[in-house]
Amino acid sequence: MCGIAGYLSRTGADEPIGRVLLDMLTGLARRGPDSAGVACFRPHTDGTSVAWVRVPGADGTGAEAALRSRLAGLAEVRDVQRHGDLLRLQLWLDAPAGAVTRALEHPGDDVEVVSIGEHLELVKQVGAPAGLDATFGIAAMRGSHAIGHTRLSTESRVDLSHSQPFWAHGVADLATVHNGHITNYDRLRRLYEQKGVRFFSENDSEVIGVYLADQLERGRTLEQALANSLDDFDGSFTYLVATPDAIGYARDPFALKPLVTVETDAYVAIANEEIAIRHALGTDGVAHEPSGHVYRLWYRAGAAAPATAASAAA
Amino acid sequence: MSTSPTAPVELDAATLSVRHLNRATRDALTAGSDVLVRNSGARHNLGVALLHPGRVTFDSSVGYYSAGMNDGATVEIGGSAGWGLAEGMLAGTVVVRGNAGNGAAASIRGGTVVVHGDCAARAGVAMKGGLLLIQGDAGYMTAFMMQKGVIVICGNAGDALADSMYEGVVFVGGEIASLGNDAVIEEPTAPDQSTLAAAFAQYGITPPARLRKIVAGRRLWNFEHAELETWRHAL
Repeated sequence: MCGIAGYLSRTGADEPIGRVLLDMLTGLARRGPDSAGVACFRPHTDGTSVAWVRVPGADGTGAEAALRSRLAGLAEVRDVQRHGDLLRLQLWLDAPAGAVTRALEHPGDDVEVVSIGEHLELVKQVGAPAGLDATFGIAAMRGSHAIGHTRLSTESRVDLSHSQPFWAHGVADLATVHNGHITNYDRLRRLYEQKGVRFFSENDSEVIGVYLADQLERGRTLEQALANSLDDFDGSFTYLVATPDAIGYARDPFALKPLVTVETDAYVAIANEEIAIRHALGTDGVAHEPSGHVYRLWYRAGAAAPATAASAAA
Repeated sequence: MSTSPTAPVELDAATLSVRHLNRATRDALTAGSDVLVRNSGARHNLGVALLHPGRVTFDSSVGYYSAGMNDGATVEIGGSAGWGLAEGMLAGTVVVRGNAGNGAAASIRGGTVVVHGDCAARAGVAMKGGLLLIQGDAGYMTAFMMQKGVIVICGNAGDALADSMYEGVVFVGGEIASLGNDAVIEEPTAPDQSTLAAAFAQYGITPPARLRKIVAGRRLWNFEHAELETWRHAL
């Protein structure tokens, strides 16, 4: 199965989105307890970026020194925190996120950049969603919007690299969560690997962010990228995407995976079961399940939305 | 809990397991009482296998398979319903104030399902009798492989409407995105019009200005080698 959830505040930029996502994911936890995570977005920043980097088995000091040397000339390290195998680096970037990522991930070693973003805070771990607060304190996270995931592994390993949300590797501030199976994953992956993209898991969901990043790089809008994905992906999928300005969904033509939205004046909530929304937010608003072959985007208050902010695919 | 014979038995879903809730609901109906369930919270499998007449009201949304296998009860849902609403129902009435998820009224053999909002994909799939009345829009593959009964869509219908239906009738008030295999459009008859008018009046729904009727073209009933292309497309 897998549970996916998203929330966007319509009233302000500083909402307790971590608490909302934690409650939504707890309400979905039956759909899979293998791993869980959230990607939270804050609209305002001080210009620094946050990078989460997995450095397996290294002792804290050595790992930190190695990462610092790899970042020389590319980013200034402002702060480092350690969470087990994960290091949270606060960086002032002097180079694009892609270049910083390539510098940190030397070929041959097992260092993996889990996320980089000026607005994005992406945390995930093996285990049910209830554990996210104990490890990362997500209940205290604030911002304008967030997406989250709780996983039932069906086709690939259970570890951090196979957990969601997936960061669109190398592209700052772009994250996805997915319920379903992308059945033309092997073909898509081969295509991107030939272009030099490195994959860190055998989870088909990883390709979604890579695909969207590729579409954006080709000059398409996020809305066009979502629309194109309906025909370019095979299989069953309901996935959510989040950027600093927007949150959205796309759903396969056969509507094989569940998806429910609730819109009120205060928020947009998305989940694959209404129970998640009711558990976190109460009885406000009417739940609606769209049909298949459909996508939609919502922009946060204050973001410059394109003229066609939301629509259904024909 | 209230035990007054005139007031409904009240159950609080927030404090009960689904099994306990369903047993208490069935016990109350067997004893001749109506039931009001508070804080239904979109939980799954609520009000399944109700075998006695009586009224069961959920104050807000329900989750998957609500009122499944219903055999005579009148179930009212104050919010929306998840997947498989009233699946396999034999008799009775299920009314949803909000919207319904995929597979509403799947395989029902009798009774009436009324959705005042929209239905997602595959509403009325494999229906074997009964009435599904949708005040809003219906999604992809509504009435897929329908065998008997009536579906009324006051709003728009999605792609592949009534694909591969055997028997039964679908009425659509709005636009049809596309017809499914072997679905054909007919004009409603006078008896159709009077049956529909009665149903609209009973459930307080304003009739659409015009209804189109969709039935099976019957070209898929028997395999004909001369119509191989039809079969290739359908399969």
